[in-house]
Amino acid sequence: MTVEYTTNELMAVTASRLLRDGDNVVVGLGLPQIASLLAKATHAPGLNIVYEIGVINPDAVEMGVGIADPRLWHNTEHFTSFVGTLGHVLQKGLIDVGFLGGLQVDKYGNINSTLVKTESGSRHINGSGGAADIACFARRILVIMKHDKRKLVENVDFITSVGHLRGLDTRRKEGVPQCEYIKIITNLCVFGFDEDEKVLKIESLHPGVAARDVLENTGVKVHIPDNAAKTGEPTDEEIYLLRNRIDPLKMYI
Amino acid sequence: MKSKVMELSQAVGEIPESNAHLALGGFAIARNPIAFVNEIIRQGKKELNVYQTVAGMDTDLLVGAGAVKKLAYSGGSLDRFGRLERINEAIDQGRLDIREYSGLSISLRFLAGSMGIPFIPTKSLLGTDMLRDLIRKNDDSIKIETSPFDGEKYVYLKSLQPDFAVIHAQYADEKGNVIIEGPLWDVEMAKSAKKLYVTVEKIVSTEFVKRNPEKVAIPSMYTHAVIEVPYGAFPTAVYKAYDYDKDFLANYAKTNKNAGEYKKFLEEYVFGTRNHNEFLEKAGGLARLNGIKADPVFGYKA
Repeated sequence: MTVEYTTNELMAVTASRLLRDGDNVVVGLGLPQIASLLAKATHAPGLNIVYEIGVINPDAVEMGVGIADPRLWHNTEHFTSFVGTLGHVLQKGLIDVGFLGGLQVDKYGNINSTLVKTESGSRHINGSGGAADIACFARRILVIMKHDKRKLVENVDFITSVGHLRGLDTRRKEGVPQCEYIKIITNLCVFGFDEDEKVLKIESLHPGVAARDVLENTGVKVHIPDNAAKTGEPTDEEIYLLRNRIDPLKMYI
Repeated sequence: MKSKVMELSQAVGEIPESNAHLALGGFAIARNPIAFVNEIIRQGKKELNVYQTVAGMDTDLLVGAGAVKKLAYSGGSLDRFGRLERINEAIDQGRLDIREYSGLSISLRFLAGSMGIPFIPTKSLLGTDMLRDLIRKNDDSIKIETSPFDGEKYVYLKSLQPDFAVIHAQYADEKGNVIIEGPLWDVEMAKSAKKLYVTVEKIVSTEFVKRNPEKVAIPSMYTHAVIEVPYGAFPTAVYKAYDYDKDFLANYAKTNKNAGEYKKFLEEYVFGTRNHNEFLEKAGGLARLNGIKADPVFGYKA
């Protein structure tokens, strides 16, 4: 690695490397889309990209403002319905990786994208869309979010999307399909979940990030061992592709 | 053959003054039936029960106008332009009977309705606070059951057949064969309704339909009425016809944050116009519409 890179570029590269050739992924706009396109341009040319609105494997030439932006649908392989993507493809079990974001994530990986509690009640923000379905049925879950004490919390205000629910085997007992793993990629580190208790644990610290930075910005108690792994740095090729082919207008990186 | 063509005011006039059950086809900033929704507001319909997979400007307008009593949906937005703040505020202030689902679970209710079956099982919603809230509100669309086939726990979702559904599409013929270009998120919803109203950019001949049968997303027997409303989804996008109007949407996303500002918007653009053509004139007319016409290769303003 010789060129400087931004944190968003590092996050996109980290997510991209977790995708395998031949995976079917459900993505939303922004870094998930960038990460998927980077994987497709490098080690995973056989990646299938699904947008819940009913678009599979488009080749967009412009970034859009959301999945309802026709810019995202250009030169696609298939148009279908919401049931066609989240019912037929996702619920059937054909999705390997689902990308999610949210307002808050808790120590069990449950995600809130619906509302925030306030002193006087609550403030409604958005809602699930397909997020809850993706969290339920995708085999591997990648959460991409900004690292913030108020966002990584003990308990989310509202469980929109189920992670490991209350830890241990509560997810299975609730009847929710099992997932292979949930990982959270932030601007400081990568989190995974403990095998047995299913609580948040550090997987790797991003280069230049100290354990203290993570502890100070996380609203959940998390143990960071002295020998914590370092997140791999982007290669020159990955950075070149991100800047010149995938997001030349720098909308998301 | 009886023509299903109607005028917009006549079609909206068929919806009861109060307490109608209505599904809407918009998705964030794409193919929202804006002309139909504005006419509902002009005609002063009240106490609507609205159903939608992912809401957009259409339902935000209706809720902001005080026309909606109950909303069942899976959330929504104006994509990066902003949030559906008229809906959000109505929820926060307890003015809306809100029933939140995931996108798949409410779509499955439409699918079951479209197939005429009483319910459909899914594992979606299990463990979520949407499910907890639906149960707390004694929502009659939800039962937690054990499947007799695999012994697993499922959510049984009651099928949904709304009295009315409204979608906006590119083309239909007088018989009601509907051609949709691009993704088809609203098709199960459209097929679930007792009466489907389709506003279209252009009414085409059945000969044109027969030359493009693979593009007919909804065959005629589902359709109750076809209404020609050019630019009927403005300012949201209609693939291969026109792009979303980014300035109009950016302005709406500011306006809808404040009840007073929204009221001014409503007075000017909806109550201040008698029909959709006047609405389009108010928004800038032909010059503005020419500025968002879709490129034939890309399907948006390239």
